Amino acid sequence: MLGPTKFNLPAESDVEQFIHESSVPYRVKKERVKTETIRIYDTFDWRLFNKSLVLYSCADKLHLRKLSERQILYSVPISSVPVFVREFPSGRFKEQLAAVVDVRALSKLAEIQSRSMPYRLLDREGKTVVRLVYEEIRSSRSKKAPALAAHLWLEPVRGYSKHAQRTALKFEQAGLTVNTEDDIYFKGLKASDKTPGSYSSKLAFQLDPAMRADEAAKVILRFLLRVIQVNAIHIEKDIDTEFIHDFRVAVRRTRAALGQIRSVFPVKTTERFKEDFAFVGQLTNELRDLDVCLLKEEAYKAKVAPVVRKDIEPLFDYLRKKRSEAFQEVIHELKSERYAAILKDWETFLNTPPQDSPAAANAGVAAITLARKRIFKKYKSAVKAGNRISESGDDRMLHVLRIHCKKLRYLMEFFASLFPPETINTLIDQLKRLQDNLGDFNDLRVQEEVLLNVAKQLSTSRGQTERIFLAIGSLVGALAGDRKIVRNAFAQTFAGFSAPANRELFENLFATQAPLSDR
Amino acid sequence: MKTLAIYSNKGGVGKTAAAVNLSYLAARTGMKTLLCDLDPQGSATYYFRVKPKLRSGAKGLIKGGKRVFKSVKHTDYENLDLLPADFSLRNLDIKLNKLKRPQKRLSKILAPLKDEYDLILLDCPVTISVLAENIFNVADFTLVPLIPTTLSLRTHGQLLSFCKKRNFDVARIYVFFSMVDRHKKMHRELIATAPETLKNVLDSPVPYLAQVEKMGLHREPVVRSSPGSAASKAYQNLWDEVQKIVRSTDALDVTVPSGLQF
Repeated sequence: MLGPTKFNLPAESDVEQFIHESSVPYRVKKERVKTETIRIYDTFDWRLFNKSLVLYSCADKLHLRKLSERQILYSVPISSVPVFVREFPSGRFKEQLAAVVDVRALSKLAEIQSRSMPYRLLDREGKTVVRLVYEEIRSSRSKKAPALAAHLWLEPVRGYSKHAQRTALKFEQAGLTVNTEDDIYFKGLKASDKTPGSYSSKLAFQLDPAMRADEAAKVILRFLLRVIQVNAIHIEKDIDTEFIHDFRVAVRRTRAALGQIRSVFPVKTTERFKEDFAFVGQLTNELRDLDVCLLKEEAYKAKVAPVVRKDIEPLFDYLRKKRSEAFQEVIHELKSERYAAILKDWETFLNTPPQDSPAAANAGVAAITLARKRIFKKYKSAVKAGNRISESGDDRMLHVLRIHCKKLRYLMEFFASLFPPETINTLIDQLKRLQDNLGDFNDLRVQEEVLLNVAKQLSTSRGQTERIFLAIGSLVGALAGDRKIVRNAFAQTFAGFSAPANRELFENLFATQAPLSDR
Repeated sequence: MKTLAIYSNKGGVGKTAAAVNLSYLAARTGMKTLLCDLDPQGSATYYFRVKPKLRSGAKGLIKGGKRVFKSVKHTDYENLDLLPADFSLRNLDIKLNKLKRPQKRLSKILAPLKDEYDLILLDCPVTISVLAENIFNVADFTLVPLIPTTLSLRTHGQLLSFCKKRNFDVARIYVFFSMVDRHKKMHRELIATAPETLKNVLDSPVPYLAQVEKMGLHREPVVRSSPGSAASKAYQNLWDEVQKIVRSTDALDVTVPSGLQF
């Protein structure tokens, strides 16, 4: 069966008269006018839009549909839209949404008003064979508000498609055109001054292979600065944990760029900002560690031995209290003079036009040459570090390898636009698998440490029974078990990364003989 | 997905009126509902103003597949579809008997529709033959309207022994009193003693009311045409009970795309 068809009406047309004239031989039955408020939702980083999904509420129901498609995928009755997916009622809708939105908060992006006048076309038996809806969309309830769109919908009734086809033909003969292109989603957002996809923490810029390396570095760093600034504004509102996360990643990338895109800026400048961003980076360490623990609350509870499971509750109350303190501390620091000065000086530096004579050894080198050299060098260090782990079995070296991999990944992402997308993405994916393994290992280690620290703090506070320590012990034990599993998977994951085939790909793409300063 | 048969081996007991109103009420709660009018008289089909016609008639229905899909009509009510009756359904028993394994054919015919609906209601003709076996095989629950008379009770007894002999689970057969006339002593007495004499009796009787008969004039479910009426309330009460039974085994995940996109 065909879905509903949207027709454009000629300007100034009398809808009612048109419907009556073009619906012969059917009897037309007009139904009650319906006004509804449509609210569009997405995450701050447009996760739904990026997957071509539209989430909107209308008349106590929440719907999910594909962008530019009519078919609604899922609907749930809902009185108010929850901020987080975890608060949704269980079911397919929640599963679908969770896969895309994850831990991000949903927020209302636009509100539009729909006024629809439904008509039914009846056959001789009085049975509805076609439904028509004239719909006007406005940005506010006021009738004075300009209509963003006005359409006549033709909705076939199952089992009566011939009648719908006949009516559609009549509409077309009367000069109506089928509207296939526009999705009111865009008009609705535009009316609310929103641009879909306007924010993403993913690196999105195009570098020119021949551009000077110092200029390329500035392009990368300007993008990261923007991510830092945008997220810093939102951190204060405490909407979700991902503003802090994106902020931290951008700071870390900034530090990696300063350290890894070597000798493109004067030594003094590089050293000064490396120190500054090390300071900015550590501001949020404690908050992020606590966020990670709290995000895993349900999973953690499931890991605790059943006999002490309910005794773990005070731990999370304590973590929430600590989180609240850490959050206030971060807000305080982000408002500090030192932070403001760092960001201001950094912005000024990044916006200063380049000098004709390069100020550092690699500043005047072509971006692609420096990119190749740095990436290949980092790749070799990572393989070397990994091999040492395989030989010695030393877990401390996992941390060293993780840092090498992180720097390599950042370098590859900074310069990805200079290389064939398919090849570089294959390499990034391979690297990502290794990083996931290393990251999991490190996360578990950090979480164990955080929990042991918390236990220590709790032991000095009054009113705690021994049962909470048994519960924390049980959890730490479970995490250590998980860590062992992750550790056992390392050898195989690393073998994939350091395999000759992968090395060959790295060599082909990045190995270069061009002489460059080693600094 | 659940299948509910409205069945009686006695005619004129208010089967179709119950099927039409219960299917409407189910759809109104948001369940995607299909009413299958298996009765060649096609009264349910008439109530919904649909032509009593199936693609390739009873023969096509028995073959199953896409023809059945194509025969489905949307009623004038949201979430409610109808598989119309066809006069050729009068020969359904004969046609089923010609098959190798006739008892489970209806399950096979309805299987492809199961993904699309939360609830399938069967408005059954009066039968206690191979079609009845098909109905008991496909239905998760059966609802039997019973006029509170001794003759009706006797017929119901026949039905239960028919089911027991063929190993159908009689615990899934529910009864409600239909066309109840409170002025009649026999009706009152039989209803009063029902908990002792009958199993699975629902607490919501449907009285004998002119409004129900008038459905033939209005050609709409009475719960729609006269929502405040006694008849409407009786069906609503009955649905409240039936709904609990239908939803008892597992929660229905009702996701109902409706209307137009904005």
